[in-house]
Amino acid sequence: MDTSEQSVESLAPLESGDLRLGDIPLQQTVELVNIDLPEDQAEPLLERGVLPGCQICPVRSSPSGDPIISVDGSLLALRRETADCLCVRLLTALQDVS
Amino acid sequence: MSSIVGDPCLSCSQHRAQSLVRLGLSPDRWDYLVALAGNPNTGKSTVFNELTGLRQHTGNWPGKTVVRAEGAFGHEGQRVKVVDLPGTYSLQAGSMDEEVARDFVLFGRPDVTVVVVDATRLERNLNLVLQILEITDRVVVFLNLMDEARRHGIALDVPKLERELGIPVVPGVAREGIGVDDLLVAVNEVATGVRKTAPFQLDRYVDEIEDAIGDLVPVVEEVYPEVPNARWVALRLLNADEAVQEAVLSGELGQLSRDDSGEVHEPPIVSAREKLLSASVRLRWKLPSDFHDIVTQHTYDEAGKVAGRVQMHGIKKVGFTFDRKLDSLLTSPVFGFPLMLLILAVVFWLTIEGANVPSAMLATLLIDTVHPWLKGLSSLIGIWGWLDGLLLDGVYLATAWVVSVMLPPMAIFFPVFTLLEDFGYLPRVAFNLDSLFRAAGAHGKQALTMCMGFGCNAAGVVATRVIDSPRERLIAIITNNFSLCNGRWPTQILIATIFIGALAPANFGGLVSAASVVGIALLGIVMMFVASWLLSRTVLRGEATSFSLELPPYRPPRVLQTLYTSIIDRTLIVLWRAVIFAVPAGAVIWLMSNLTLSGESMAYHLVEWLNPIGLLLGLNGVILLAYVVAIPANEIVIPTVLMLTVLTGGLVGGAGPGVMFEADSLGATEALLRGGGWTLLTAVNLMLFSLLHNPCSTTIYTIYKETRSAKWTALATVLPLVMGVTVCFLVAQVWRIVAA
Ligand SMILES: Nc1nc2c(ncn2[C@@H]2O[C@H](COP(=O)(O)OP(=O)(O)OP(=O)(O)O)[C@@H](O)[C@H]2O)c(=O)[nH]1
Ligand SMILES: [Mg+2]
Repeated sequence: MDTSEQSVESLAPLESGDLRLGDIPLQQTVELVNIDLPEDQAEPLLERGVLPGCQICPVRSSPSGDPIISVDGSLLALRRETADCLCVRLLTALQDVS
Repeated sequence: MSSIVGDPCLSCSQHRAQSLVRLGLSPDRWDYLVALAGNPNTGKSTVFNELTGLRQHTGNWPGKTVVRAEGAFGHEGQRVKVVDLPGTYSLQAGSMDEEVARDFVLFGRPDVTVVVVDATRLERNLNLVLQILEITDRVVVFLNLMDEARRHGIALDVPKLERELGIPVVPGVAREGIGVDDLLVAVNEVATGVRKTAPFQLDRYVDEIEDAIGDLVPVVEEVYPEVPNARWVALRLLNADEAVQEAVLSGELGQLSRDDSGEVHEPPIVSAREKLLSASVRLRWKLPSDFHDIVTQHTYDEAGKVAGRVQMHGIKKVGFTFDRKLDSLLTSPVFGFPLMLLILAVVFWLTIEGANVPSAMLATLLIDTVHPWLKGLSSLIGIWGWLDGLLLDGVYLATAWVVSVMLPPMAIFFPVFTLLEDFGYLPRVAFNLDSLFRAAGAHGKQALTMCMGFGCNAAGVVATRVIDSPRERLIAIITNNFSLCNGRWPTQILIATIFIGALAPANFGGLVSAASVVGIALLGIVMMFVASWLLSRTVLRGEATSFSLELPPYRPPRVLQTLYTSIIDRTLIVLWRAVIFAVPAGAVIWLMSNLTLSGESMAYHLVEWLNPIGLLLGLNGVILLAYVVAIPANEIVIPTVLMLTVLTGGLVGGAGPGVMFEADSLGATEALLRGGGWTLLTAVNLMLFSLLHNPCSTTIYTIYKETRSAKWTALATVLPLVMGVTVCFLVAQVWRIVAA
């Protein structure tokens, strides 16, 4: 896992609210909590392995802020609006609490 | 992991030749039917090619195959028919290509369904396997891409997976033909019933759901006795699956399940179909409120669990470091675009520079040597003058011209393009361009169909099946013609070389011509955005829907095989098409130039009549007439232009009127065109008009087939023409003002 201590701290305040994938800095692996999209738009994501409970890592982003995420070993390009509808939670912060 | 290597003798092609007899195209009769299903980009078409010896197109991006392909092979004395299906992530079809796959798996009644699975993405792939197992138990899993799995440190316990699923699981590397033999054996055993499968059963649902299913299944069986998977149909009806409901209501459900005897089942009477639907609606009230989520989540959970149990842990994940590094360049915010342009420019430069010499050689051979020889032969045996003119000066020369102009550039462009495609670059282009497409209200996958359009617009139009939103698919279809197709580069390349490349110092001529062709191709892309934007603000109003695009890992292309298939398949097929259109066009041109009306040829009258309009657009009457003659195929524009210029300019080029003169050298062509009154403006506007005009007849027909609408077909035909006329007119006016 390539999460650095520093990025966790800087994100800590956000953690209480509902965190969206769009807010996550690149290279930070997070866990998907749920998909806040109507069913017909969520379905294609589920089919491509974006399932609640899976680990997601935004690896790159285009100039307009569209992310490429890594999930289940494959790369998926999403649009920014879609990324903003994926509720996630930090993995490392959880470990810190325990 | 040892299982993929196995006995080297067993997996080499020499051995396979003994048991596998490739039969190529589908026979009329077969002993059993095998369907190749699976997630997109898992290697289904590669397996299909291995089995049948056919050359179904493969490509490293999801959505390469969009229609089903059929083939056959012989094995153990049995004739086996194979159907290659488009990839699908699940049986809840979203886009049209997925629908093709789903319908065949559901209602095509394959004897065996081979699910080609990507070993590096087991969980997601198993989801589809489990869904298919709900429908049929005659399933074999081909665990493909084992070489990539190994490279990335993913190990799978194959025997355990086989036990978990209760069906044969064959590991392999389709690209190398490894495992294909074992697959044949497994398929044969399942088809003949030698091997009984005991497929994985999804856990039963909670009682309320099972009760509802139990109530509905008998109704399904009563109304549609021939449907093989009543439980699945019942579940989909309870889930209010629109496609299945529609199939029930229209009677299509029974049609699709027609068996191979060719006998078509009469659809049940309307009242029975409605009864089935109302029964499902009534039962829905008894279901728990989160029924839909339960059903959807069910398979995902199970697939995850099975995958977790067979993936061997403790092996270091090597990951995709090379891929990541390359991606950080090719999809970089800074370098992504410049690199895209550079790659495009290099491809065109290779094409232009490389094609020069062979083109000239072909022209010397076919036009300077063979044509006079044929003329000599014909005068020797004394053929009628008009027939000799029609055949040799019309038909033969038109064809020879098309061959020498088109063959060399295509034989370079297609392999290079296919190598890029096989490498996995296309989805990266789509990613880079997505923000522009979104701003235009279009779908991100339109970039993929655009790339296919660079090969052939008709192919690009069919490729739009990967776009699931009907509105955005229509936009992609209507604007595909703005991709500069291969039929139009010869025009672009020739004119760019003569008029624009010549402006630069000799050493840079090739580069400058390549740059101007790239400029035209880019202008086409800009026009595609403009047209998409206009459409989505007017007749096809709506917001861009969300989409997600998988970026496959980069794969080293198979150079020799790519060369072979792209030359044999694409180049020769496209060339053949061009020749077929050139033959009648050559005849028409010859006739137009030799039939006279009050002392002048028909062609002369037409050109004179079109000239004022042409000049207004910065073109001339010859070019406009050539475009009318070339509606069947863009490829013949240039030969027609040259021939008509000779004729109406009163220049001595060939042996007589209507003869496609011997423009074997660029210098001769240039002298001719300049003599015909051509200027730099004519050249630039010809390049623009060649980009922006109506699609060729094949594309128009394909658009009609895909949209089933005369209205959209007409729009797709007229829109680029209107844009072309406008652009040429404006350029001509501005040019003349500036020049004056
Ligand atoms: N390394 C490796 N590459 C493979 C193997 N099998 C197929 N490929 C490559 O994977 C890519 C996809 O292959 P296709 O056969 O087009 O896949 P498909 O499942 O038909 O794809 P769609 O038609 O888009 O659903 C191509 O670039 C193939 O060369 C394999 O066993 N190993
Ligand atoms: Mg395919």
